[in-house]
Amino acid sequence: MDVTHEQISEGLKRALYVTNERVETAIFLALALEKPLLIEGPAGAGKTEVAKVLAEILHTELIRLQCYEGLDEARALYEWNYQKQLLRMQADEQQGLRWEELSEHIFSRDYLLERPLLKAITAPSRVVLLIDEVDKADEEFEAFLLELLSDFQVSVPELGTLKAHERPAVILTSNRARELSEALRRRCLHLFIDFPGAEQERKIIELKVPELDAKLAAEAARFVGAIRKLGLRKPPSIAETLDWARALVRLGVRELDTDAVRTALGVLLKHEDDRAKVESKASTLAPRRR
Amino acid sequence: MASLRDQLVRFIGALREAGVRISVAESIDAMNAVAAVGLERARMHEALAAALIKDEADRAVFDEAFNRFFAAPRADRGEHPDQRGEQVSAAQGRGRPGDIPSTPDDAPPRKEEQPREGAGASKRDEKSSPSDAKPSGETAAANRDDTKGKDAAHDSEQTRGREQRGESEVHEKSTGTGIDAARVTRLRAIERMPFDKFSDLDYDEARDALAPLIRRFRIRLGRRLRIARTGRIDFRRTIRAAMQRGGALIDLNFRARRPRHVDLVILADISGSVRYAAQLMIELMAGARGCFRRVSSFVYVDHLAEADLEQGHIVMTPAPDLYARSDFGRVLGELWQRRTGLITRSTIVVIMGDGRNNRLPARADLVREIGRMSRGVVWLNPEDPARWGTGDSAIRQYAREVKVLVPARNLRELQVALTAIA
Repeated sequence: MDVTHEQISEGLKRALYVTNERVETAIFLALALEKPLLIEGPAGAGKTEVAKVLAEILHTELIRLQCYEGLDEARALYEWNYQKQLLRMQADEQQGLRWEELSEHIFSRDYLLERPLLKAITAPSRVVLLIDEVDKADEEFEAFLLELLSDFQVSVPELGTLKAHERPAVILTSNRARELSEALRRRCLHLFIDFPGAEQERKIIELKVPELDAKLAAEAARFVGAIRKLGLRKPPSIAETLDWARALVRLGVRELDTDAVRTALGVLLKHEDDRAKVESKASTLAPRRR
Repeated sequence: MASLRDQLVRFIGALREAGVRISVAESIDAMNAVAAVGLERARMHEALAAALIKDEADRAVFDEAFNRFFAAPRADRGEHPDQRGEQVSAAQGRGRPGDIPSTPDDAPPRKEEQPREGAGASKRDEKSSPSDAKPSGETAAANRDDTKGKDAAHDSEQTRGREQRGESEVHEKSTGTGIDAARVTRLRAIERMPFDKFSDLDYDEARDALAPLIRRFRIRLGRRLRIARTGRIDFRRTIRAAMQRGGALIDLNFRARRPRHVDLVILADISGSVRYAAQLMIELMAGARGCFRRVSSFVYVDHLAEADLEQGHIVMTPAPDLYARSDFGRVLGELWQRRTGLITRSTIVVIMGDGRNNRLPARADLVREIGRMSRGVVWLNPEDPARWGTGDSAIRQYAREVKVLVPARNLRELQVALTAIA
């Protein structure tokens, strides 16, 4: 795939994804070397967003596989549509067809339920395949993924081997609910996305919530950065920061003083003890004291 | 242009030596990555990181090595007068990007041939002696039975000196044979060395050994948490699946247990000879932070102090008085006062200490109360079990109140004990 580093940076900018050299280079390499990209980092730092933005840059479809415990090949790859096969068999029986004719019918693509992985492989053009939260899936599934990610082909016993026309761009994300196997890591390029620094977050706020006063945006970014360092149960994500910024606009806040911080804290913090912790320190954290 | 390839092979060798695991395939990726992004320093930095570093914990090691191998352009740093103006050969181990772009035309055509060359470079390269290839071609463990221990031990000391001074000449030696073998034997020895025999030098050595230990520890923890998850049969999903199969109970579906969150509260004695054990434990746990929901570390002598790991150093607030008389009873009292929010049903309290309390009140009752509030109290004792309960040791009193009391006399025991906790 012929994309240049500059096209990626341009594309990211156009998609309003504020980022840094590290992210740009990793995305570019994933495309240039046709390798899966494993993205790790805290929840809410924008891992999944990378895949969405990438699909936007490449003007292609995003196929998403959300991993969870107990996810198996039937849910991820393909499954025969049993009910439909059954109906077909009953219909064919009345016509008195032989088994050979029958099985030709019921084991064709029409009766195959394509799950995300197969969909990505059989897609006519290059798609972006997002395997989200791969750490939530079981170890067996991870082993199965290894095979798929190295060859991009699947063999369905009744149909033969299905091979990708064009290798999809694969993004895997992980929250480190468990440690991924070394084998999977070896096959992927790696990118760690942390929460943005105050300056970067200010840019994000200004881009996505332009209604907010610039000075206030900078203060909000600093404040969020500061409370992330408090060791909360759930530090606020970027999306929550943006919600909070919108809330500040709606509330007509002019200055980010202690009271203003307190009123809309529920947008940022989703645990009562986090809230208590921040409120107790609000007077020292708020950019303007009263 | 062969120099850049050599440089990369050497760079990868150095990373391996520092405990980062890099496969041959990954080193080929790294070469391809550099070919793809070009030689602009920042991009090359990130490209190599994406291809080689698969764990953010290794990033610091990588950054340090990258700066050592691919230093910033001349203008940014004080150059040694002898080196100015002439190309530093890659054999000296310190190429500079200032030099590299002087032959940028060579870069694009290499794209095709590079994978093959990258993998084989260490073998065919004439400049490097056969032994040069060893650290990059083989893992450190494979060199274990190398017998040049003594020479190499000498070398490794030089290497350490070199790392501080940043001398390029000595760096040559670090890629020579024997270092790995010596390192591995020393690391293994240090894993088994009792904490009470530690000196400051041993402690530094042990910190080197910590990186691979942390990785193993994390993988084991991850596996344990995972195994614990398969729960009871989920009837609703089993029946639903059976409906699709015409009512036959072919697939059994299990109700996944919710992954249990574990909070850790670590309490470590940093007085006297126990302090090495305590510091190593805090660093080990900090490396495995991701496996727990929250880790709060405290150290104590006679008062409780919060311990944070900042850039590889333990920062204690407030700074404890290391020469005070240990008083664990008082420390327990202080912890008890801070229990709200800190100790819950999902907290495991890990205490590291010898339980020697200078005959002050032991307050074992508080250990019991804390045990009741939490998932359990685990006590790791770096002292030899034969000495437990002798002299001013109150460990027998505590032993009655804690869930487990295990000896952790050396790094290996410490790791095994910590893995058993989660």
